[in-house]
Amino acid sequence: MKRVGKGAGLMVALATAGLALAACGGGTVNEAASSSAAPAESSAAPADSSAAPAPADCGSWGVAMHGWVGYTASAQVLSDVAREKLGCDITQTQLDEAGVTYDAMEAGSVDVIIEDWGGGRWQEWVDRGAIVEVGLNGNVGLIGMYVPQWMCDEYPGITDGTKLNEYADLFVTPESGDKGAWLEGPPGYTTIGEKLIEANGLNFKIINTGSEAALIEAFTKGNDNKEAVLGYFYEPQNFLAKVPLCRINFPANDWTDAAKASGLTDYPETPLVKLATVKLMDSGSPFATLVQNFEWTNEDQNQVALDIENGMTPEEAAQKWIDANPDKVAAWLEGTGAS
Amino acid sequence: MLRLRWVQALIVLAVWIVTATALKGVQTQELSTATDSPFTAVMRDLAASIRGNRTESFLFVYVFNPIRTAISGFIELFMGVIAVPADGNLIPLLGWFGTLALIGFVVYATSTLRMALFSMMMMLLCGMLGMWLLTMETLAMTIGAVFLSLVIALPLGVWAGLNDRVMKVLRPWLDLAQVLPTLVYLAPLALVFLIGIASATIATMIYAIPICIRITALAIKGLKQGPIEAAESAGSTRWQVLTKVQLPMAKSTIILAVNQTTLAALSFVVIAALIGAPGLGKPVIEALTIRNVGDGVVAGLAVVLLAVMLDRATSAAVNRDQSGYAAADAAKVRRRIGLAIFGVLTLVAIYLSRYLLVFAVFPEQLNFGEYVADAANAVSDWITDNLGFLTVTGSEQFTIWILNPLQGVLADSPWWLTLIAITLLAFILAGRTVGILVFVLLALVMATGLWNDTMLTLAMTLIATGFVVIIGIVLGVWAGRSARVDRILRPFLDAGQTMPAFVYLVPVLALFGPTRFAAIVLGVVYAAPVVIRIVADGIRKVPKESIEAAVSAGSTTMQVITKVQLPVSRRSILLGVNQGLIFVLAVVVIGGFVGAGGLGYLVIVGQSKPELAGKGLAAGIAIVLLGIILDRIAQGRPQKSPQGHH
Repeated sequence: MKRVGKGAGLMVALATAGLALAACGGGTVNEAASSSAAPAESSAAPADSSAAPAPADCGSWGVAMHGWVGYTASAQVLSDVAREKLGCDITQTQLDEAGVTYDAMEAGSVDVIIEDWGGGRWQEWVDRGAIVEVGLNGNVGLIGMYVPQWMCDEYPGITDGTKLNEYADLFVTPESGDKGAWLEGPPGYTTIGEKLIEANGLNFKIINTGSEAALIEAFTKGNDNKEAVLGYFYEPQNFLAKVPLCRINFPANDWTDAAKASGLTDYPETPLVKLATVKLMDSGSPFATLVQNFEWTNEDQNQVALDIENGMTPEEAAQKWIDANPDKVAAWLEGTGAS
Repeated sequence: MLRLRWVQALIVLAVWIVTATALKGVQTQELSTATDSPFTAVMRDLAASIRGNRTESFLFVYVFNPIRTAISGFIELFMGVIAVPADGNLIPLLGWFGTLALIGFVVYATSTLRMALFSMMMMLLCGMLGMWLLTMETLAMTIGAVFLSLVIALPLGVWAGLNDRVMKVLRPWLDLAQVLPTLVYLAPLALVFLIGIASATIATMIYAIPICIRITALAIKGLKQGPIEAAESAGSTRWQVLTKVQLPMAKSTIILAVNQTTLAALSFVVIAALIGAPGLGKPVIEALTIRNVGDGVVAGLAVVLLAVMLDRATSAAVNRDQSGYAAADAAKVRRRIGLAIFGVLTLVAIYLSRYLLVFAVFPEQLNFGEYVADAANAVSDWITDNLGFLTVTGSEQFTIWILNPLQGVLADSPWWLTLIAITLLAFILAGRTVGILVFVLLALVMATGLWNDTMLTLAMTLIATGFVVIIGIVLGVWAGRSARVDRILRPFLDAGQTMPAFVYLVPVLALFGPTRFAAIVLGVVYAAPVVIRIVADGIRKVPKESIEAAVSAGSTTMQVITKVQLPVSRRSILLGVNQGLIFVLAVVVIGGFVGAGGLGYLVIVGQSKPELAGKGLAAGIAIVLLGIILDRIAQGRPQKSPQGHH
């Protein structure tokens, strides 16, 4: 016991000394960092003073990050513009799509979803006053079931989704028993595969591959080895530029909320929506204006996404696009006071 | 008597298989993912009402939300010191160099200088993998969670050790907690406490507290009565006996409880990332989504290094206490001087780490993580390219000839047939009480509406357990008989038990595709080390005399194994089967991430889609029921007589 007493006493002494040290904090690395940033800002200000007044203080905000590379592209560009041009403190948090993120927004740990496919599934949270739609982000999404191009060339009739039963046995694998294998989208994504199969009486079995990467691998193999693959995919996705896929079509879409889909009609062309917390949009922060103004095309997103897939870090790819498109960025910054 | 039971079981099996094949596809209770059963609809509405009440209901505003804020705040205190910079700062309170020195000092103070240097080296390696901040986040979370767990579990454990009635009340909850696969209580926790540090910490505590209670209670109970009686007869009060005699005597076992609790908490770290825990779990999960083996391996290695460091350091603290360290005076003085010098050096390091950038932020020049990741990716690609054909074909053939037929009997046959068959087998193999229990539990599974998915998961679990038992017995016997084999196997067993399953999920996926077979392989890799260890331990406990007697009577090696070692270590083997089953179930559920379907997939998709939340929660309940069923059947008949074998 005495031994423990001595050891504990030593640690207490150390802790006290350590805390005392931490308390007298003149000139720490932290302060050096913030002070080296300040002179840069003050030297830039005189040059700008003839132009618009300096941007208001931006604050700290959270941007939700989702699993697919297109989203990463959009969100990274948004976050980097906010950091560089507006001086915002942005935290990017990886989260599952939909419910999980809406909950996080309600709790205040995340403020922006830059691309939501959900056709109104966020209504519950809007009703509770947590989330608000901030318009469209300019990208148009289209989900669908795809097969490798060679299959459309060899079986032209296959593009009619209602007639898939004629080709079901092409897709049989050990995982699907005696039915065709229908590779469904990852858990968080909008999927109505089961409804399509049931409503159209298709002789297929859903296989949940679990990730977009698994789908990409399956399609790549199907394309390279001329294997039959029927899988979930979507635009905008730069993968489609690398490996040609052709889309299976169902009767024209008539729904926006997947939970209400009957299964008789196809996925909709979805103008992708920006969502933000009421807290952000009411704050008057320049970041809110940036989010309001943010929009770009599918081609823009594909460019950045392709760079990321080819090995650049998201930060590098976003920076490359930002440097190459100053006019688009300027348009987003209108009304924030920065340039 | 034994033979009759096996014959009965075989007859039941035969009738079952024949009838199942004849009635294939009839009343299978198959339910598409998007459809709710009555029970899951109730759960879905419950989930929606919880979500709606989070800001309004009394329970939430005054109980749950404050708990969440308190726990988050507490953990963030630790994080603020070593891992996470406060707003606007570049570094947390202590830079990396200072933290490294502090860790070394703490280890030195609780054990030896050598262990301190070892610990510092392990942490340095984590930094060199580019994982310094993430490792510190995980370390901070683990320390905080362990502290909170000990605060609750140690008193409870002491109380249970002193009072048998308390133990009786606690026991079924402790049993349940051990059978519960971790993935199952993540979703309910996230529902009530929102994803983030608080949920992750509470989940870790749920996992670690039962272990701590059990060990502590055992320690207190197992104390020699002599000193206690002496103190009592000398007139000490109950409290004095507790604090001055019992607790000091149990001290080393209590430190062991700390050791086990720490490891349990750490092993939870990756899964906790699924509900927003910061730290090393995040890159592992991300690597899974983008199928990047290298990143997953780097983070996984950091987890292993941290685990090894904590394990050795806390074990050394146990040993130091146990050895009764009555060192010579000269050694004591040396140690005190050593501690003082190290203490001063630590203070210097802390100072430097706050004022010099190179000691504050882990230097990029020392970061070799990218090379490790590239190497891991290269190996994985090579294996996939060259062995891929073999593994994919192998898995396909296995699926066609073994997995699908078994699944056909379990899942594609009438539910009432399967229910009766399993109940009968439970009666035969484990006795009347278990048989009745199994029947009730299976009926409950039926009531959830998830019968078909449960049978799918059961098929994978049984096959994986079969493999695990075979591997476990073969390698366990070998390691039990040969110290050399044991030494060779040990690092693999250690790595297998500490490396998170998600890390090797990515290469397993790459090799076998998103299939049920991949989930089975995952289960085998995860559970085999545990079973090997238990069986080897049992073999080693077989009395040498029995073996020598058999050998001198002329038995061959095979006969010694089958007629002496295996029968005598039967209880260990049964324990191994039991533990193997539980571990396999926990991981086969993770297979739901990657195409295995079944209950695991429902748990995961229930977390992502609010309309499927009911199915996710119900699937969690079904997994628990399945776990209890398998656990009880595998424990065999209740022992009638408590006597040993020889």
